Amino acid sequence: MSILRFQGVTKIYRQGQVEVPALRGLDLSIQAGEFTALVGPSGSGKTTALNMAGALDIPTSGTVSLEGTDLAGLSKRALSHLRRDRIGFVFQAYNLIPVLTAYENAESVLALQGVALADRRQRVMALLDELGLAGMEDRRPDQLSGGQQQRVAIARAIASKPAIVLADEPTANVDSETSQRLLGLMQKLNEERGVTFLFSTHDDRVLAYARRVVKLVDGAVAEDSAA
Amino acid sequence: MRLISMAWRNVWRNSRRSMVTIAAMAFALWVMINYMGLVDGMIVGMEHDAVDLEVGDLQVVAQGYRDDPALDLVITDEGALLQGIDALGYQAAPRLLGGGLAAVDHDSAGVRLVGIDVARDARVTSIASRLNSGQWLDPDRPHDVVLGKRLARTLDAHVDDQLLVLSQGADGSIANDLYTIAGIMGGVGDAIDRSTVFMTAGAFRELMVLPQGVHQVTVRVPAGTDLDLAAARVTALDSGQAEHAIDVQTWRQILPTLATMLDSTRGLMGVVAFIVYIAIAILILNAMLMAVFERIRELGVMKAIGYGPLTVFGLILAESAMQTLVATGLGLVLALPSMWYLQNVGIDTGVLGGMSMMGMSFIHRWTGLYSVRGVQEPVFILWFMVGAAVLYPALKAARIRPIQAMRYQ
Ligand SMILES: Nc1ncnc2c1ncn2[C@@H]1O[C@H](COP(=O)(O)OP(=O)(O)O)[C@@H](O)[C@H]1O
Ligand SMILES: [Mg+2]
Repeated sequence: MSILRFQGVTKIYRQGQVEVPALRGLDLSIQAGEFTALVGPSGSGKTTALNMAGALDIPTSGTVSLEGTDLAGLSKRALSHLRRDRIGFVFQAYNLIPVLTAYENAESVLALQGVALADRRQRVMALLDELGLAGMEDRRPDQLSGGQQQRVAIARAIASKPAIVLADEPTANVDSETSQRLLGLMQKLNEERGVTFLFSTHDDRVLAYARRVVKLVDGAVAEDSAA
Repeated sequence: MRLISMAWRNVWRNSRRSMVTIAAMAFALWVMINYMGLVDGMIVGMEHDAVDLEVGDLQVVAQGYRDDPALDLVITDEGALLQGIDALGYQAAPRLLGGGLAAVDHDSAGVRLVGIDVARDARVTSIASRLNSGQWLDPDRPHDVVLGKRLARTLDAHVDDQLLVLSQGADGSIANDLYTIAGIMGGVGDAIDRSTVFMTAGAFRELMVLPQGVHQVTVRVPAGTDLDLAAARVTALDSGQAEHAIDVQTWRQILPTLATMLDSTRGLMGVVAFIVYIAIAILILNAMLMAVFERIRELGVMKAIGYGPLTVFGLILAESAMQTLVATGLGLVLALPSMWYLQNVGIDTGVLGGMSMMGMSFIHRWTGLYSVRGVQEPVFILWFMVGAAVLYPALKAARIRPIQAMRYQ
């Protein structure tokens, strides 16, 4: 089943008088269980595409649908709930709420969903353990390394079992060794738990991990390994 | 629950800024509580002095006396009236009023003569306590008089000097007699200070040839009694008055300017508190705006992952509420000792040259009066102002759009 679908999506940013086309007719479909890397040169529209997928921005034309629902038809409130319940986010940096501990950050989406405390605790502790963060539950983000912070962010993103995890350059701010390990971890989660990932990167080494690589150039798909 | 602990931790993220904010709020609250207490103390003190030293709660005179205070315009059946008032559970004392000329050696002055029922008067006024030198009237010494402070100065009179009083009796005869100055008052109020000669009722009756009736009955009612109701009850005792109906007025009617001034002073307090707090509100506005702007990214991430605008709004509100709560506690704790001091010791206004208003020299020691309301109001206004000030930053935070926030550096 297609979880995420872009159909003829264009996005034009206006900067004063100048129109900057970020996406020019993007057609892309992501299936459940896929592990897809979005690559392409800087400015090719990766972030824009992920923002559309994450219901954080609206296309100038075309449709973005998640699990069959056209996002354009949803209210702000519905979009907020959709992000909370169906989408996991991992951003490039500053992902975590600095005043919350690793555990509290990881469980924050579950808490927002109103999942019962005991259930929450069990799920989040198991997840942190699996992500190699056992013993770090009570640390604040500033007491964690960049890689550990990203792992907490991944824990938060997948704890609520979303339909898809969107990660915009999740490894951009860590060294290459950590980057490899994070991607390995994401891959493992994809294989063992069936988590659907769509992430962007400009790191060529990632290609080794991704099962599907979609290359954007000038806001449209230039190459798709699945095609 | 999580929101509350998040808010609390956020408050202490920039502990210096929060502490300055809290200290400013606590200080403003402390100032306002003490200020309100002092003003309340002044109001009650002035009202008390006006009532206690001069007019009483109610004054009864014969109908028409207020417009034309003639010597023979008296309440004729004062015995029945006093009994009636006593029966209502109020305190009453009659006074005899007249005018004349007084002289000590070569100095003379026009005077107001006040004849007093010494025993009853002591129950309705504390005027005797304002004696500066000598002693108060005594029914056993009918030729004693007590002079107002400035009158004594005008006449260059001293205790034990002889005072000659000249007037016209009720029967038209020349009234004159010689008295001994037993005491001289301290400052009470213009009318008493400048021109009053207190004498016993017996001496007055003899001098002015007025065997019957009184000009005025001063009434005190128990604290908390509705004055208009009390006045109506006293008026209802009128039936016994054969010749002239009585005229009952409350002190508020007799001293309307003082009454309105005291009333408006209270309202003015609220305005002053409001103005003081505007400065505090600006401080809060600035502090909370800074707190929001320096974590735009973080708030953007929160909104992206599913925190709703209402939750973010509540978070910012909770953060300032917590600071206000701490400040309120601190302000109240700081106010306790100063409240105690001002209520029990007070400020000696003699040091400030005394205070006088509306012809009343009112307080010698200015003490604060603290009530639940006098504490509640500054607290309430503080919270109101903080609430108003934090609205904009909180709305700003609630409306952050994630993609813009995450671009923001
Ligand atoms: N808010 C914006 N305003 C104006 N132009 C934008 C904005 N966001 C992105 N762009 C432009 O859109 C294009 C695609 O950007 P982006 O999606 O960030 O690409 P990538 O993530 O692949 O580097 C770029 O030319 C970029 O400058
Ligand atoms: Mg990008």
